[in-house]
Amino acid sequence: MDAVFSGLASGFEVALDPFNLFLVLAGCFAGTLIGALPGIGPINGVAILLPIAYGLGFKPESAIILLAGIYYGAEYGGRISSILLNVPGDAGAVMTTLDGNPMARNGEAGKALSLSAIASFVGGTFAVVLMSFFGPALASYAIHFSPSDYVALMVFAFASLASLVGSNPVKTLLAAVIGLMLASIGIDANTGVARFTFGIPDILAGIDFLVVVIGLFGMAELIHLVEQQAAGTLKTLKIDKSFVTMKDLAFVKWTILRGSMIGFFIGILPGTGASVASAVAYGAEKRAARDSSKFGEGDMRGLAAPEAANNASAGGAMVPMLTLGIPGSGTTAILLGALLLFNVTPGPLMFQQRPEIAWGLIASMYIGNVALLIINLPLVGLFARMLTIPQQFLTPLIAVLAFIGVYSVVSNPHDLYMITLLGVFGWFLRKLQFSLAPVILGFVLGGLFEDNLRRALSISGGDWSILLTSWNSVILYILALLVIVVPIVVGRMRRSRGEDESPKAPA
Amino acid sequence: MADRIFAGVLLVVAIGYTIIAFTVIHAPFQYDPLGPESWPRILGLVAIPCILFILARPDVASLGLPAKTWGRLAALVVMLFGYSYLFQPLGFIIATFAFCMALSLMLGAKLVPALAFSAGIGVVGYFLCTKLLELNLPAGVLTIFR
Amino acid sequence: MTFFRTTAALLFASVVITPAFAQEIDRPECVAPAKPGGGFDLTCRIAQQGLEKQFDGPMQVTFMPGGIGAVAINLFNTTRTDDPNAIVAFSSGSLLNMATGKYGQWGANDVRFLATAGTDYGAVIVRDDSPYKTLEDLMKALKENPGGIVMGAGGSVGSQDWMKAAILMKSEGLNPRQMRYVAFDGGGDAIAGLLGGSIQVYTGDVGEMVSHLGTGEMRILAAMSDERLPAPFADIPTAKELGYEAVWPIVRGFYMGKAVPDAAYNKWVEAFQAAYKTDEWAALVKDKGLLPLDLSGKEMDADMKKRVERMTGIAKEAGLIE
Repeated sequence: MDAVFSGLASGFEVALDPFNLFLVLAGCFAGTLIGALPGIGPINGVAILLPIAYGLGFKPESAIILLAGIYYGAEYGGRISSILLNVPGDAGAVMTTLDGNPMARNGEAGKALSLSAIASFVGGTFAVVLMSFFGPALASYAIHFSPSDYVALMVFAFASLASLVGSNPVKTLLAAVIGLMLASIGIDANTGVARFTFGIPDILAGIDFLVVVIGLFGMAELIHLVEQQAAGTLKTLKIDKSFVTMKDLAFVKWTILRGSMIGFFIGILPGTGASVASAVAYGAEKRAARDSSKFGEGDMRGLAAPEAANNASAGGAMVPMLTLGIPGSGTTAILLGALLLFNVTPGPLMFQQRPEIAWGLIASMYIGNVALLIINLPLVGLFARMLTIPQQFLTPLIAVLAFIGVYSVVSNPHDLYMITLLGVFGWFLRKLQFSLAPVILGFVLGGLFEDNLRRALSISGGDWSILLTSWNSVILYILALLVIVVPIVVGRMRRSRGEDESPKAPA
Repeated sequence: MADRIFAGVLLVVAIGYTIIAFTVIHAPFQYDPLGPESWPRILGLVAIPCILFILARPDVASLGLPAKTWGRLAALVVMLFGYSYLFQPLGFIIATFAFCMALSLMLGAKLVPALAFSAGIGVVGYFLCTKLLELNLPAGVLTIFR
Repeated sequence: MTFFRTTAALLFASVVITPAFAQEIDRPECVAPAKPGGGFDLTCRIAQQGLEKQFDGPMQVTFMPGGIGAVAINLFNTTRTDDPNAIVAFSSGSLLNMATGKYGQWGANDVRFLATAGTDYGAVIVRDDSPYKTLEDLMKALKENPGGIVMGAGGSVGSQDWMKAAILMKSEGLNPRQMRYVAFDGGGDAIAGLLGGSIQVYTGDVGEMVSHLGTGEMRILAAMSDERLPAPFADIPTAKELGYEAVWPIVRGFYMGKAVPDAAYNKWVEAFQAAYKTDEWAALVKDKGLLPLDLSGKEMDADMKKRVERMTGIAKEAGLIE
């Protein structure tokens, strides 16, 4: 423990150096702006700005602190276009649209933005605190999570998403299967066989998650806007001056904490990141809610849970990278690359050999989180004004932003056609009352489920009993069962007692 | 009816998907008992009954859109494809200008504000992204800006 | 009305586009055929920093993910075959894809190999507390029960990670189909799998082990190189010296379009050759976790084609291709 405190003290000394402090703030601000662009999230933000940071010739700790600021800022910024435009800013912000955008439509954009900033802050800080005190222990737990345990985790994730089932269960199931089918396109990760690619090189490696998200959500939203505009049912929203209140925060405090815990736990596992974390947090929250009828129509819990989770998972993902040198996700792989570029090798030795970087980075995360909260809250009003842009200009703007987001990262015009096609498909799904969230979740979870199941069976040589050999798996299967059964049983009991189930949520 | 048409199209795709899963996909050899084909086969066999159910019991009779709306939407999709097609060869500034002009005018903007808006997004967007954020956008025909 | 206006604008614009084919290297660009942050990115950074002094303008790094390089090779065989400005990063994995037909119709003769950035070698890695203290221990156990040891790495069956395990099996006369191999999603996940006990042997790369060498968590049983490697790997025996014919170099380098004019190609070759002579280049290659390998021009092109041929042979023997 003493080592942690002395490490943190020396880290804060580095991070509070006026120049480094300035870099954290600058990075957070730039990151927020980049993250707010649909399609450009933390990974791409850091990757794109990495050469600049390198070219500026800063000391390694300063450059890393700048990049960490950008990374954190982008994570915060991702929620902005989710809430305001119903276009997810990045992969982790998909679930944020479900309740965040309805809140904005109800004239509570300011409240949604400020509440999500606070949820992000709590989630991010929660993760950094746990990381600085229990990092090595958590990391060694995370690597013992075997492929068969991932299978159990995916079963749990699917179970907690049972709460997403809408009025027509068959359509929900079909939507999820469509997502799973989309994910099966491309080279099979186990045998290297191409599936459903028809010789088109652009989809050999599968359809990029970003393209699916921007297409199904962003472009479908665009088509939806034009349709409403043509029908004359679309009105420009008034400037809303709403802001989060203490009462709201009291209402969601446990939601935020639960979301942070789920997000952090899923984040530290290599291979699962913010998108899985926020999906599970949302599903579990809805499942756990006494009255879940408002979810999807602007329930604050449906906004707070995924936002706390995706920021906590971003912090959690740093744990195996910093303590073991294992990049667990795309985001941490690029940060690992950044460290290597500065001749710093992450891993246990970093804390001994380059403590100024290791602890300086951790301290800068504390500062970054606070800075982001301070930067973001005053900006809420400014961002909320975005909604007052006249529709005839806001609509083309969404398309341009989506095109920039998709093109600037990979420069492949093929992706532009893909988002348009997926947008048309997504619009039809919406019109026919399929919900889009199960499609996305099927897409995210399906690949992980199949790959890990087959990995587990390769390890066991085809013996299925491997799926039940670890406590991690058994506990997750029990949890999965509970998530499905408990709400049903509780609901029955309550009904038989004739308990009043009137909504508790403040309007 | 709308449900049925959509489900019909999906059914064709799903049957094609399932046939491919059962016939084409095959690994020279594999270390897991499932191989690359089992999972798609399961998906196909789940999707087809779901679609048949929707065909039998549709719940969305009609999309309820007037012909004019359909026209607008078709125009939008054409514009999006045109924008995709021209994005690289013409470059961001010109393609964006043309696309924003077309769409904002269709949505009822006045000519002068539309001109100002489209030119602004094209030029300011380009320099903001390429110079300030170092994002990669095509310069296209305006090669001097590279 | 709207439509006429737009169509007119678009028509006008399309007339304006005139393809401009510059034959000089005025805008050097390195295409990393993957997402940012991976090995191809690193390869391009070597070119970007190492050739800084050879060109007037800065070299741009662009990303072109898709099909493990298939999108890039496709583009450089269709629209950018004669682009004098662009070089594309490749690795042994790309050569293997050419050998096994993963790039469709495009093979080793459809590109012009330019120069190498450096090289790495395969490594046989176990956890520190593994019962296999030497490569002999491991091979003996494999011979007794080929399917009894779980091996794994970051690539699918037929990838170069799998190839390393396969040629290890073959060096003892065993059939690669008999081994137990687990494909992870990248080296990071595979290392986690090794440390977590899911797999017992990881067929990774020497270079990525730099950060793990001093930690006492993992051991390299053997390097898959022809000769002993320089420090800090000097103590690691090669598989060859232990009597196993298992060599797997991982070359990293650049190719250009097939129809690039000789003048531009030669200028690039000269730039690389000039850079190879500097100390900065050597330091840069080392910093990026690679070992020096300075090949360029015709010599390099021939060498790469030979490698592809050899890979085709191995792939055929392993039953990957007919």
